[in-house]
Amino acid sequence: MSRFAAGWILLLLCAPAPALAGDLLPAPPGLSARAIASRVEDIFRGKTSYVEATMIVRSPRLSQPRRVRLRMWDDRPHRRSFIRILAPPKDKGMGFLKLHPNLWNYIPRVERTVRIPPSMMLQSWMGSDFSNDDLVRDSSQLDDYDHTLLGLDPGLSGAEGAPSIVLEYRPHEDAPVVWGRIVTWVDARHFAPLRQDFYDEDGVRLRTMRFSEIHEVQDRPYPHRWSIKPLDKQGHETIIEISKVRFDQHFDDSIFTKRHLIRGDR
Amino acid sequence: MGLEGRLAWRNVWRNSRRTALTVAATVFAVFLVVVFVAMAAGVHGKMIEDSVRMHSGHLEVSGKGYLENRTLDQYVRLRPQLVTALDAQHELVGWAPRIDGFALASKGNATQGVMVLGLDRQREVTVSSLMSRVEKGEFLPAGVKRGIVLGGRLARNLGARLGDQVLLYSVAYSQEMAYELFTVTGLLKLPEPELDRRLSVISLRDAQDFFVYGNRVSEIALLAASADGLPALRERILRALPRDPEAPVEVHLWNEVMPELEQFIFLDDAGMYIMLVILVVVVAFGILNTLLMSVLERTRELGVLLALGLRPAAIFRVVYLESLLLAVVGLGIGLALALPTVLYMQGHPIPLAGDMAQATSWLGIEPVMTFKLKPLNPLGSVVTILGVAVVAALYPALKASRARPVDALRSL
Repeated sequence: MSRFAAGWILLLLCAPAPALAGDLLPAPPGLSARAIASRVEDIFRGKTSYVEATMIVRSPRLSQPRRVRLRMWDDRPHRRSFIRILAPPKDKGMGFLKLHPNLWNYIPRVERTVRIPPSMMLQSWMGSDFSNDDLVRDSSQLDDYDHTLLGLDPGLSGAEGAPSIVLEYRPHEDAPVVWGRIVTWVDARHFAPLRQDFYDEDGVRLRTMRFSEIHEVQDRPYPHRWSIKPLDKQGHETIIEISKVRFDQHFDDSIFTKRHLIRGDR
Repeated sequence: MGLEGRLAWRNVWRNSRRTALTVAATVFAVFLVVVFVAMAAGVHGKMIEDSVRMHSGHLEVSGKGYLENRTLDQYVRLRPQLVTALDAQHELVGWAPRIDGFALASKGNATQGVMVLGLDRQREVTVSSLMSRVEKGEFLPAGVKRGIVLGGRLARNLGARLGDQVLLYSVAYSQEMAYELFTVTGLLKLPEPELDRRLSVISLRDAQDFFVYGNRVSEIALLAASADGLPALRERILRALPRDPEAPVEVHLWNEVMPELEQFIFLDDAGMYIMLVILVVVVAFGILNTLLMSVLERTRELGVLLALGLRPAAIFRVVYLESLLLAVVGLGIGLALALPTVLYMQGHPIPLAGDMAQATSWLGIEPVMTFKLKPLNPLGSVVTILGVAVVAALYPALKASRARPVDALRSL
């Protein structure tokens, strides 16, 4: 099947998604789309965040899901982040260092550091449904998009069974983003994100992210389980289970260095 | 008939300079048609053979959907039954399994996205010319563990020399990171700049390990004795291959794998034939002109002949014979010049240089101009020129045979 035909079929399959807007209830007055989006962005990523997580990759190719344990330091104001892989044993000690706009990968088994070139940015990150670009990109869902309130969705309820708030994000004309549109479902009580659908510029839905296991962390309702499903690849899913998260800690500059990338955490 | 023949022959040489010019034009046209068609056949045949030996083979066995989507998800399982079935195909000159992957090649600070081709040396030799393109070093010698052969431009861009270690970095079929150091054993000189800049070759076994691909391969290239009769061969091979319910396979012809090549040849042929048609039309007008002039000159003479009792049909035949004589003489001389030329050129291809060489290199073809004489070529020329003579003579012959003796005798 040609990509063109595939695109049309996808478009047809996805047609019900915007139609869902028809089932939405009108939003109560006094809600500001931008204020909610700002809250969501705050919850997702504070100024800095430290995360310990397990990434689970499912695919039709695999009889067993693949599990990757990792730690991540994300320093938004300085546009830098660092990831250390803890498991599986084969990849233990592997590190990723992002210093905007570059991404390096250190591979201890062959003792080499690779700078991921722009041409590889859309490739899968560690075999997951995330791309290298997802890691490197630091566009902001707040500053690079316009936000509108679509309504309330009784089909997806958050805390205490209240219908979720549905927002639509559309990128600014010159924003450095890859998406044409993002639809976000937000918990109406504490504004935790519940789901995000990502569309390309032609209105084709490419990826759905769902957020669950929302627990309070440093006064934020933080989803501890993220699921991402690419819609063009059947049976693929990547889940991130977050076991620990800390926000707005001070990070030492030495974390974000090649020396740290290669020499390790001690 | 004897009389008509003699009349025609004398008339043809009545104005020998005019006749010679017409014959010369015909000779020229025949020569060009034969040489150009032979050249196109040669160049296009070479294009197909070179491309087939560089890329797909005449036929390509691949996983379902591989033509549209070349990823690790489209594969053929190289099971023993399949190997036996392919080895039993006596119509094949050879077959070679290959893995086509994508990776990042890195050496020092230089990185470059590369195509990773995994191939089986022993089998590949029977199918492709790739190994003969090694410019430096060796093509994956048996003694070197995890050897890699790089395109010349790629090696320069990476700053990699023989014996250096290059890191390949990708995502395996098992969705884990794939990374491995390979030792450069050879450098290729590839005619296509794109391949020269992108291609890296490792052994099939190493590729299967690197991509955690088990016994899978991306495609199997089949080389037949010739490019003729491939559709029928495909059917026979499809029937002979064992079924694999887990990974059904398809068999494609080279022109399905490389449609752009076939389209190029079609366009090129179309351009050439348009030119040849114009040439032939010019020759047709030459013959028409000669005959018409000669008929008009002899109006009075034709009137006498008719008055003496020669039938219009005989006059018609005389003019037609003149036309055919012109054509046959032109054809004879033209073929006598063209055929030896083409036969000589067949054995002596013309090497191309400069921009022409560059242009063919882009297409992945060795920059030489080859000739191939197919029986249809002179046969087609003969039929075309005779057809032209028949059509061109129609009007002059009709005009001559319809003359009324009284009017004709009166004219000068």
